[in-house]
Amino acid sequence: MRRTASLVLLALAVFFAALSPLLRWYAYPRLVKVPADEYQTMVLQARDATLLDYGTMKARTVPEITVVQTLKGNVEAARRIERTAGRDVVVWDGLSYVQGPDGKMVSRIPERYIFDAHTQEPVHATGEMVDGDPVTRNGIEFKWPFLTQERDYEYFDAQARVTAPIHYEGTRHFRGLSVYYFEQTIPWTRVPFPKVMPVAGITPESVAKTGTTRWYTTVRKFWVEPVTGAPVYGEEIHKEELRGGSLLGGRDRVTVFAGHVKMREDYTRHTVDLVKSQRRLVLLVTSYLPWGFLCLGVLLLSLSLYLEARGRRTPGPAPVRTEEPEPLGS
Amino acid sequence: MRALIAAAAGLTAALALVLTITAMGTPEGRTSPRPLLTTVPAHP
Repeated sequence: MRRTASLVLLALAVFFAALSPLLRWYAYPRLVKVPADEYQTMVLQARDATLLDYGTMKARTVPEITVVQTLKGNVEAARRIERTAGRDVVVWDGLSYVQGPDGKMVSRIPERYIFDAHTQEPVHATGEMVDGDPVTRNGIEFKWPFLTQERDYEYFDAQARVTAPIHYEGTRHFRGLSVYYFEQTIPWTRVPFPKVMPVAGITPESVAKTGTTRWYTTVRKFWVEPVTGAPVYGEEIHKEELRGGSLLGGRDRVTVFAGHVKMREDYTRHTVDLVKSQRRLVLLVTSYLPWGFLCLGVLLLSLSLYLEARGRRTPGPAPVRTEEPEPLGS
Repeated sequence: MRALIAAAAGLTAALALVLTITAMGTPEGRTSPRPLLTTVPAHP
């Protein structure tokens, strides 16, 4: 009986001990991924921002500018691209919609970001674009890979359509989470005019004819939770100018927009709560279960060996001695 | 010999479980019907 129990324990010990690395190095890279049907909204605000009044062509200070960012997973497009890419792909159709204090549109930039669902590496396929212009991303955007490392990453800037390093600047604590702080500076760069201009009748082509150009610089800051790779907070010190041409009435440059854009408080709280729950799920597969199973395997193996040893040490029943009856004699 | 068989059974069961789970994968879902926003939402 003891023998059977020790064999069963041995089988269970091997089962759990094998499950530990299989879960961490085989199941995790295949199962943990960004879902293709994700839908996310984000609201950012810039208080006391500078905004160009297109009526007077003069910059003025406004109490608030709001940026509404939507990311919507396009499952059908992802399936189509997966057939040729041969890996799990996520397609995010996004819109950055900027609204002035009067509720009117300041800018709207749509984009399509295609990336590997597991590693977040960009995937290049037809349809990858920013504001209708085909682009080739060579870096991440919006989200870092799962198990983010303490190093610089390449990050795609949708305004300038360039990929540039985003620097790891250290580990910080943010609302109960240990996060990695990343910062990227895009120096003054000439950027295309948006396809949809905020004033009716003005098109990028008509502005281009005046010889006026659009320039942009930004300092982008992200606080990234490293297990999920999800930013829990973000800020951007953003400046845009019009330079040269006949549109500015002899002036060298005019500010189109300048402001310190920060995530709205309710969205920050919501994001932190969401990331905390997702973090637990990723940790379950990468840490809690593999370590738990390994310990359980060692425990069961010890128990199995103990039972086996006891089974061997215990002496069996003493042999019964049968003696020949002595012959009756004198 | 019996110990080897027991260990092999444990290993096979672990492999079978992990391979089954990964082969099943995760559900794909459907594209959300919600729009790309052009208004400021009141809350998340």
